[in-house]
Amino acid sequence: MNLVPVTYRGGIYRHDEIIDLIEDLGGYIIQKHVLAQEVVLQALLPKEDIALIAAIAKPLTGEITPSPLVGTEIAVVTMSLEIHHLPHASCDVAEYIRRFGAKTNMVGLARGFGKRIAQMNDEERDVINEHDLAVYLLGDFETCIQQKFPVLRRGIEVPIVVCAGPSRETLQRIIDPPVDGYVGNVGRFMHRTKESEELTKLDEVVEEITNVLDRKREEIAKDPPSVSPARLMDVINEQVDEIHEVLSPTPVTVQMTGLRVKLPYDTFARVLRDIPIEEGITIGEIADIVPSRMRDYILMRVRPFSETNIMV
Amino acid sequence: MESVEYFEVECPEETGGAYYSRIADVVLLDHNLIRVIKKLHIFIDPGVPIFIAVGVTRKLPGVVRLRDFAEVNATGQKIIISIGDETHLAALLQILWGRYGKEAVEQPDRFTIVLSDEGQESGDIEDLPVFDPTESIYKDLIYALMVIQPEGFKVRRQWYGKEKFYLVASEDTLPENIEDLIREKFALMGERL
Repeated sequence: MNLVPVTYRGGIYRHDEIIDLIEDLGGYIIQKHVLAQEVVLQALLPKEDIALIAAIAKPLTGEITPSPLVGTEIAVVTMSLEIHHLPHASCDVAEYIRRFGAKTNMVGLARGFGKRIAQMNDEERDVINEHDLAVYLLGDFETCIQQKFPVLRRGIEVPIVVCAGPSRETLQRIIDPPVDGYVGNVGRFMHRTKESEELTKLDEVVEEITNVLDRKREEIAKDPPSVSPARLMDVINEQVDEIHEVLSPTPVTVQMTGLRVKLPYDTFARVLRDIPIEEGITIGEIADIVPSRMRDYILMRVRPFSETNIMV
Repeated sequence: MESVEYFEVECPEETGGAYYSRIADVVLLDHNLIRVIKKLHIFIDPGVPIFIAVGVTRKLPGVVRLRDFAEVNATGQKIIISIGDETHLAALLQILWGRYGKEAVEQPDRFTIVLSDEGQESGDIEDLPVFDPTESIYKDLIYALMVIQPEGFKVRRQWYGKEKFYLVASEDTLPENIEDLIREKFALMGERL
């Protein structure tokens, strides 16, 4: 079954019918927001059933739009959390990506600023590596980027999209070895992005991220995970009652090949490991459950089919 | 930046310079400092790296005296101060407490202060300087320049006074000839430090 990431927007009236329908058809609700009288669902739907859901949602004034980033967790890496980079451009970019369904986490480096003095510690590196992709928001000067970027990418294993002031061509020239994506003319600025050309630039960032993630999806499809992370999320939501007491917006965050479960590792790692997914198969058999560097959360990395020989 | 007589960002990297020109514009506008600045020259060389901002301010508003925001009436052995605008009230009370002691300064209501000090002339008090806006404006200006400068330039030197100001910053130790560089930048605006 081919699942497609989408966003459903509609009224709160009878929205539970839509949720039931999605679940019955084999789709997964990744996140649900209720905003006054409106409901926004970020979901993975079976491709062939989208037309059916859209037809049923029409009388309820619900509409389905494609959201290429649903089911991904993206790190927005900003050089610091000082006024020089916040709230513009870091928050603008992080917020805009979120509109397309991604779960973004802002990683503010402790010593990411400067040219010679820029550095990254092991905690920052590990936190970034826990994501599906890292968006680096750099500054306006190519001299600085050329010198500091090798330090900031050291040890990063996830795909990187670089956003910076110089043009795309300049970035491609000065960054060696190349990264996965480049967006030029999005460097340091101090004003809110609201003009149309600025929003176009943000769209370009989303497009670049989508392209990079599509390539990653293709790679993953060659050796798919033993279970879909969205399905694993459903299993955890059903079988671990404590998850419903977590106050985070996404107690279980879905990634492309794993999950972040926002429960303390020491107490719940064993519990999660022993949860059965299907008869005779537990989560522990098909996923690595490791402590996350983010607070005391749990990180689950679903092993690929080639390792487990199990597909559920 | 139309109201600023001279505004220039000098940078070996053309694109970077253009961005910083916009950043300076936005920051000064956000901090309500555009009307304070007459001339501003910013020099950034990321290769060194160094950031130099030199400028000239317009004539700044003078010292706020007691008479500007209050009325003073001397009756017998008491002086009654009726406050019109309470913006500077806190600063005034601090000064009066320091000068006469807390026991001699009464405040029966929000807009009235009664001084029970014998032998005081009301005329002296009316000229009492309460607040000097120049100091805070220059401090705001230096703060704004620190926001404009590239982050990470932790070695800084700043100076203000006589309607002129400068801020130099770098990641490394400042070069020895920094004073000459600053003078050079002032000269570009047709000014002398």
